[in-house]
Amino acid sequence: MTFSPTVGRMLERNILKSALMMAWLLAISGCDSDSVAGRQVEAPKVYRHVIDGAPSSLDPAQANSTYGRLLVPAIFDTLYRYRYLERPYALTPSLALDFPQISSDGLTYAITLRPDARFADSPFFESGRGRRVTARDVAWSIARHFDPATRSGATWLWRDRIVGLDFGQPILPERMNIAGLEVLDESRLRIHLREPFPTLIHTLATAQSAVVPHEVVQGLGPRFGREPIGSGPFRLIDFNETQATLVRNENYDRGPVDLAAEGFVPELHDELGLAAIDGQPIPLIDRLEVQFIPEASARWNSFRSRSGTDLVMVPPELASSVLATREPIRFSEAIADEFYSLAAPEAGFVYYGLNFDHPALGRHDDPDQDRRNRELRCAMGQAIDWSARDARFYHGIGQRFAGVIPPFLPAWDDSFESGSFDPEQAGRRWTEAGWSEARLPSLTYGHSAGVQQSQHFEMLRANLIAAGYPAERIEQKVYATFAELLRGIHDGEVDIFLMGWTMAYPDALYNLQLFYGPNAPPGVNASRYDNPRFDELFARARRQTDGGLRNRLYQRLNRILIEDCVILGSMVRTRLHLWKRHLRMLPDREMVGGFFLPFVDVKPDSER
Amino acid sequence: MNRRDSVPALLLRRLAGAVPLLLGVTLIGFFLTQNLAPNPVWELAGRSPTAAELAALEAQLGRGGLDGYLDFLGGLLVLDPGASLITGESIRSILARTVPVTLALMLPGLVIGTALAIGLGLLAARHHGRWLDHGLAGVSAVSMSVSLVVVVMLSQMVFSVWLGWFPARGWSTTSVADWLLHVSVPTLIIVLVNLGFNVRFFRALWLEALHQPTVRAGRAFGLSEGAIFWRRLLPWAAGPIMTRLVFSVPMLILGGSLVIETHFGIPGIGRVFYNAVLSGDQPVILAFVALAGSLVVVAQTLVDLMIRRIDPRTRDA
Repeated sequence: MTFSPTVGRMLERNILKSALMMAWLLAISGCDSDSVAGRQVEAPKVYRHVIDGAPSSLDPAQANSTYGRLLVPAIFDTLYRYRYLERPYALTPSLALDFPQISSDGLTYAITLRPDARFADSPFFESGRGRRVTARDVAWSIARHFDPATRSGATWLWRDRIVGLDFGQPILPERMNIAGLEVLDESRLRIHLREPFPTLIHTLATAQSAVVPHEVVQGLGPRFGREPIGSGPFRLIDFNETQATLVRNENYDRGPVDLAAEGFVPELHDELGLAAIDGQPIPLIDRLEVQFIPEASARWNSFRSRSGTDLVMVPPELASSVLATREPIRFSEAIADEFYSLAAPEAGFVYYGLNFDHPALGRHDDPDQDRRNRELRCAMGQAIDWSARDARFYHGIGQRFAGVIPPFLPAWDDSFESGSFDPEQAGRRWTEAGWSEARLPSLTYGHSAGVQQSQHFEMLRANLIAAGYPAERIEQKVYATFAELLRGIHDGEVDIFLMGWTMAYPDALYNLQLFYGPNAPPGVNASRYDNPRFDELFARARRQTDGGLRNRLYQRLNRILIEDCVILGSMVRTRLHLWKRHLRMLPDREMVGGFFLPFVDVKPDSER
Repeated sequence: MNRRDSVPALLLRRLAGAVPLLLGVTLIGFFLTQNLAPNPVWELAGRSPTAAELAALEAQLGRGGLDGYLDFLGGLLVLDPGASLITGESIRSILARTVPVTLALMLPGLVIGTALAIGLGLLAARHHGRWLDHGLAGVSAVSMSVSLVVVVMLSQMVFSVWLGWFPARGWSTTSVADWLLHVSVPTLIIVLVNLGFNVRFFRALWLEALHQPTVRAGRAFGLSEGAIFWRRLLPWAAGPIMTRLVFSVPMLILGGSLVIETHFGIPGIGRVFYNAVLSGDQPVILAFVALAGSLVVVAQTLVDLMIRRIDPRTRDA
């Protein structure tokens, strides 16, 4: 058969194109092969997690963000951790053999370590093999926070608590001599406190308390945050701006999962297939990939793609497409068929904070002015439409509450009612208190850069304007980052700010510290609230070892904050999680954080 | 050609010019980061620092004074500009792991996109005023109007979610196939979003070239269209094409990849630089400024050398 020259050239071109296309497809399809020389190999169990930001360091001393707190417990061990499934959150020993022996005066905690905990291998250990984790490691891991060279962001956890532990001096592991951190032998440690500190055990479950090997920390210097070595269930093999990749730590041996001890309830957890992990050794997966995806759309696309992430926290703008009803919260049939789902409250809350150094907002020596200021704060609280915020930013399934003790904490008091939205009453209230339109103060609302943050400002301003506040007296100040906003708050540049407060442990003290006078900026009391009565009660509460009495003190503290209209708030957001059906897990972004990762399992192909 | 116009003399002149340029841009960068950038102390300080802890951090981070700038210059001289204040990673290590990724991500799009735009621009110029020219003008207008972010999100949705042909995120260069798998959609996006500007640029260039007296003379002498293209058009247009192409490389490395890297989870230099700016990581910012200045000098020198080789007029001047 012969062709004309034109047809021949066309055919040549088409054949060339087809060959190129075939080569392309073959090259690409080669990536997906799971067979080696015709032999099927068992695929490693890989779980792809996602979070909405990247930690800058994985050194426990710098695990200040939600992102760091998720990854650090996967790499390092803590003395205690939260049970995987139990709610309300409950502690259990991890690196410790048991709960501490506490002296009758509450000042001494005796802790014994498991004998079988080992660090992952590193060239900085003798012979390169990970050595045993000792009581000296635990003591130094706490003490190093107080060495300025560590640049720790977590000294507040133990500041003024442990005898002889003060900020400012180099703390070398070989010459450490801190009276409050008494190392008895390789396995036993005693912590001596300056005053009773009943939440100490919670602080020993935080990511910041994770135990580090001194020779690796000293050997790597600042690089330790990028190439960390710990005694946790996983070992980091790669860490960059977009992803952390971890593999099973072969030196980690905690025996099989005791599901009952983890809080397994068949009625709640059977449908997730969790019963199958009972008795299996942890970690259950071979490889853990944690992707850092700040953009909500990219997170969603990755989750919906076949080879993308295995879990997603649903962005608020997509709530309507995944929920069938909001009350009760029920996912749509299509979503429920395709994925496992969870709707759970965050371990924290959002509120508007006020600058109490502002002469028209804060407490005042003149009782009349003090009363007027309080009335203005309370009226502003009535002007805020939390339902609109909930609908716009939080799926429309947030939970309003009064004060700073959310409903999931044991100290929750349901006798407090959250204030109602009433703009007319708000306007009348500040006018009756002497705040005529001409006298209402100029206020600066500070927020970090971002569309949603700007929308929050616009909504707040619209609410106040609707109640009669002059628009020109509410100004916006935008900061490049959240850290810059904190700097602005510290420098007194901001009068109102929206704060999302995430708890590191489930005790109301963690929230109440936001208003303790001595914690004023640069401390955590961003409002600069300074009330001697509150401070005296707070100091009593944090020493109180009896849980029931402590909760009652917490409730009294909360009442002071509510009656004094210290914040405009509050709301607990409900998180919507979806994950793929080839997994057996119950995710948690809150207190359990990274502790749930060793329990994640991937179903074998035969069960999918 | 006199000695002043020799290649070594040109290189020496460029090198001499690079010194004040680098000093200038880094000094400006230093004062800007010193006075306007976020204070990294607050990035590291945690939830509840004390004044003493903030002061200790401030002292360690060493933001301040001319000494800091001189230290930086000293490090630059030995090609070791220090370490990130936030992560502690050495800047050499940051550049070594991110620059190759960004190049491998962006270069295919640059090369394919430029080649395509050169061809389409020529086609439009040769059919000036006719339907093909108008059609390409319409395509260019669409390409120029669509936001990069929208194209990125749509491409991710179409190719990764709906069709499932390519991964939604990630990066791997363990094999050519892996690289193709991860670079294909970003390359398509780079080509699409830059096509409009490029086609308009090259159309204007070819139009001017087609009206050159040498081209008209070639036609009058009966040269074939191929001969006119290779002997008259291309030598005339090579200079602007090279200039655009070579100068695109530093721009791509330093500014063009942030959105794509972020959405596709590609660990390139764009995200690192963005994070450094947001956190006030002065050594990283200054290193990037110095790198940008150096790349521009290198690009300019390369363009000069190439034009000298292509265009005899520049050699004879």
